[in-house]
Amino acid sequence: MTSVSVIAPPSLEGQRLAFVLAEDRLGHYAEFREFVTRAFDLDRIGLARPGFLRAPSGGIYALVFIGRSGEAFPSGVEIHAVVPALEPLDEAHVDGDLWAILQWVVTGVGRDWTVEALQATGRLFRIPPAMPEPA
Amino acid sequence: MPAVALPDGIRQQWPFAPRFARVNGWRMHYIDEGSGDPVVLLHGNPTWGFLYRDFVAPLTQAGHRVIIPDMIGFGLSEKPKQEQYHSLDGHIANLTALLRGLDLHRITLVCHDWGGPTGLGFAFSNPARVRALVVMSTWGWPLPPAEFHTRIFPWRMIHAPLIGPYLLGRHNALAGRGVYLSVVDRARFAARAMAAYESVLPDPASRLLTWVWPRWIPLDDTARALHRFTWLERELRACTLPALLVWGREDDVFDPAIFAARFKHLLPQAEGPHLVTGRHFLQEDSGPEIAALIVDFLRRAS
Repeated sequence: MTSVSVIAPPSLEGQRLAFVLAEDRLGHYAEFREFVTRAFDLDRIGLARPGFLRAPSGGIYALVFIGRSGEAFPSGVEIHAVVPALEPLDEAHVDGDLWAILQWVVTGVGRDWTVEALQATGRLFRIPPAMPEPA
Repeated sequence: MPAVALPDGIRQQWPFAPRFARVNGWRMHYIDEGSGDPVVLLHGNPTWGFLYRDFVAPLTQAGHRVIIPDMIGFGLSEKPKQEQYHSLDGHIANLTALLRGLDLHRITLVCHDWGGPTGLGFAFSNPARVRALVVMSTWGWPLPPAEFHTRIFPWRMIHAPLIGPYLLGRHNALAGRGVYLSVVDRARFAARAMAAYESVLPDPASRLLTWVWPRWIPLDDTARALHRFTWLERELRACTLPALLVWGREDDVFDPAIFAARFKHLLPQAEGPHLVTGRHFLQEDSGPEIAALIVDFLRRAS
């Protein structure tokens, strides 16, 4: 089970937002946009500020929502790691965190979308965080 | 010049001179070999012209001019960085710009995967330029898609919001493992060809179209391209061009019993379907055999 949580905006003093993933069409399946809107209270907050998540590793991520004229909000989202301003990303660490965030998203979307199906897809394509730990 | 470097083993299998054309504001790569009536070979997702490497020599030796473009977003062509830059109509217009720019007539279009809707879209909007069709593992009607395309595992999951950019973007899952799973001789593919598809999509942003194209497959009557596929089916029913159907016997994405049969119903004049060894990327398993079928078909159609 994932333990990703929505958190209050942290202090960004001495930090930077490091881009890690973009989704241009969050509403391709409407239930994904609906979940994100609920999770971050976007009908009320809109574009006023990013949403923030804490991954199970403790890593913090900012979700920057995108609006496009004529489309339901948010039309897209960028995920940025909050990292020390002058330090490079630990890509393997970020990759594991993103995998946890995707599981959290799929759990929240629900309906026919399951973490089991996500994990099976990850294993089929041999995505490192989805593979079983070596014995 | 290409923006990506091909591995040596791949470059040896793809010795053709790179050419570039400006289409709709994008830089499109293509090759143009031989002389005679043109044969235009169209790839789909997530491949590029390399898929047809075994077709060039037999077709040119049979007296044909061979043109193989890389779709904008794939291969050695420019790769837009935002989903909204891609549409089915836009890709048809890209192909139209190239083929009109080369002023080609008496074209035989060889269509595979998304090269089907784009190539057929060109053929039906430029009928005076097209002489014949060759159709492989694709479709050209609105609904229903393959049962495979309606399932969450694995198809809808791999291109779902956020998941597509992660699996297919960060991990290049379609160009590597995805094609590998859709050929018959996987060991041969891994040794000889897999690097060709992975190497031309070196960065997550360069892989955008690998998850954008799946989102253009109509799954219900709200789909963005529904009207275009409805038009394609209507035009297919009216089409009298000579046609050849070639399908992979082991194709578990576009099952020949359903998809080749439907093309045969829409194009009753078509030869085939000829079944060859192959899954969805049948060119990888049976390239020379398919090329020989096309050469023979064009000899009889002329």
